[in-house]
Amino acid sequence: MPEQKKERKRENLREALHLEDIRKAYHTGSGDVPVLKGINYDIWRGEFIGIMGTSGSGKSTMLNILGLLDKPTGGLYRLDGIDVSRMSDYELTRVRNIKIGFVFQAFNLFPHLTVQENIEVPMLYAEVPAKKRHEISAYMAERVRLGHRLDHRPNQLSGGECQRVAVARSLVNSPTFILADEPTGNLDEKTGAEIMNLFHELHDAGTTIVMVTHNPYYEPHYDRVIYLRNGTVWKIIDNIAGYTQEYQ
Amino acid sequence: MRLRDQLWLSFHNLMLHKVRSILTSLGIIFGVGSVIAMLAISEGAKIQALAQIEAMGTDKIIVATRKPPASGKDVSDSSGQSLMDRYGITRVDLDHIRRMDNVEQVSVARNSRKKILSGMKRLDLSLVGVSIDFLKFSRSDIVQGRWLSNIDGINNTCVIGLNVKRSLFSLGQKDIIGSTIMVEKDIFRVVGILENSHGTNIPGVGSPNDCIFVTIMASDSIFGKKAYDTSSRNPVVEDVDFDTFIVQVRDVSYIDYTSKRIAAYMSKVHSETKDWTMLVPLDLLKQQEATQNIFTIVMSSIAGISLLVGGIGIMNIMLANVYERRKEIGTRRALGAQKGDIIRQFLFETIFLTSLGGGTGVALGIFIAKMVTLYADMPTAFSLWFIVLALVISAVIGVLFGTYPAWKAAQQNPIEVLRSE
Repeated sequence: MPEQKKERKRENLREALHLEDIRKAYHTGSGDVPVLKGINYDIWRGEFIGIMGTSGSGKSTMLNILGLLDKPTGGLYRLDGIDVSRMSDYELTRVRNIKIGFVFQAFNLFPHLTVQENIEVPMLYAEVPAKKRHEISAYMAERVRLGHRLDHRPNQLSGGECQRVAVARSLVNSPTFILADEPTGNLDEKTGAEIMNLFHELHDAGTTIVMVTHNPYYEPHYDRVIYLRNGTVWKIIDNIAGYTQEYQ
Repeated sequence: MRLRDQLWLSFHNLMLHKVRSILTSLGIIFGVGSVIAMLAISEGAKIQALAQIEAMGTDKIIVATRKPPASGKDVSDSSGQSLMDRYGITRVDLDHIRRMDNVEQVSVARNSRKKILSGMKRLDLSLVGVSIDFLKFSRSDIVQGRWLSNIDGINNTCVIGLNVKRSLFSLGQKDIIGSTIMVEKDIFRVVGILENSHGTNIPGVGSPNDCIFVTIMASDSIFGKKAYDTSSRNPVVEDVDFDTFIVQVRDVSYIDYTSKRIAAYMSKVHSETKDWTMLVPLDLLKQQEATQNIFTIVMSSIAGISLLVGGIGIMNIMLANVYERRKEIGTRRALGAQKGDIIRQFLFETIFLTSLGGGTGVALGIFIAKMVTLYADMPTAFSLWFIVLALVISAVIGVLFGTYPAWKAAQQNPIEVLRSE
């Protein structure tokens, strides 16, 4: 449990995400099934947030909506000051590309591309010129301590290294926040801890991180933990201020 | 995504699965290959046929003697056996045709029907009496010496075709000009050698390369007009005025009218037996072109079917490919690939496949055509347009059959890949 976290003060809070009465219902044969029933929270820039909940709590749907892969049926979602809740697929993809860095549980690297090429993929879609792509990808690889592995392919790397490549890939377009989905789920305890340390390093450097997980073991790592239950925010644990707010 | 990156990505993906890419484009390779080969063969045949027709000249009408199937105007003896067989186009016809409108000039030729022997061996050559302007009409060139002229008159001078030279003189023999050849009991002095490189085949005369030409006056005075034919069981004396008229028209646009006039006149005068034929090279040319067009249409349909099959094969494999790469597609979408980027990625892959297939097919087709020329001795010809056409068509097939799989790929829901496996 990093001690310096407690020392940090919240000042000059700037909004990264703003969720207001977010609702999501799925259409089925027997009518609409509500999955998210009005979610409200803000995430500030530089925060390390954990979103937790058991299966069926609406956690996955929350992840899809946060990642702009799914649209809410109601409510307001503001990302970096932009209302993204009514955007077209094209605009959402654009926002996703430059404002969200994805880290997946299964790494989702491209096996036929080298480490460097994998890191460059989001920049390809952002139309970054080749020279700049190479510079940035080399820098990011260095940042996750894989500078010596640029020409390797994912199958030549360990699981932990793969996830570090994925983290480097999520950073290249300087996103508003990193959205990590169970990033340690496919790793053993020791490697998982290394990845968590990497996230802490990024966090200390000012990156906003939203991690969706069901692993309560990591609870003390986050600045705040948002617990979901039955499609609503059940409680928010604030590790910096040191209090827990329960709803309902 | 930048076009260059996009193209590279698609190309890279193809190169990952080289064997699969080759197998996938096999349909297109063989389709295009056979199309190119068949087009080359038909183009070769067409060029050959057209050259033969054009070699006769499209501003000409050729009227030729045709030996009637049964004996026509006979002068029979009491036993009923033909002795004298008179048929063919006559001096009267010539005078008539000469006076017709739109007729510029008529050049004539008469085959002396003499056997040309080399020792005891009969050669497939003929001695032909021609008018002085025949050279121009036969579209041949003098390669050595000179052509016949008025000075030759009834002298025993001759001009020989290239094949005549080959069969009568040994290879590399010099001083052919000035040397003599013997036909029956008559000796002729060679004054020139003629070559026809167009493949002209004049009805009643044959290829100028196979002829010994003398002036028609010389032919008349030396051999007379009668020829003794011993080739049939009953010996016959054939009496033929001329074998060929080459009629040059003044205005090609009225060639139809002129040929009809000639045909009408000839069928009126030669009403008893059909001992003449008429040939209008321009008509043949038109017919040949029409036949060629039909052939081309049939060929294109067959080509279309084989390419269709190839295209469907590619679509099938691309669809399987899309299914196999759902995870890649989903990840790309999550990382910021637009639907258009995905569509272009897969579409370019298909177009690359079909274009590479098309290119290989063109090479294969050229190879097959060359082999056909080499082993079957059939002429083949290539024109740039059908190679370009093959490439364009294979690219179009790529678009046609690549669009659906590419669209299908873009519809993949990225949410699927975010689900934990």
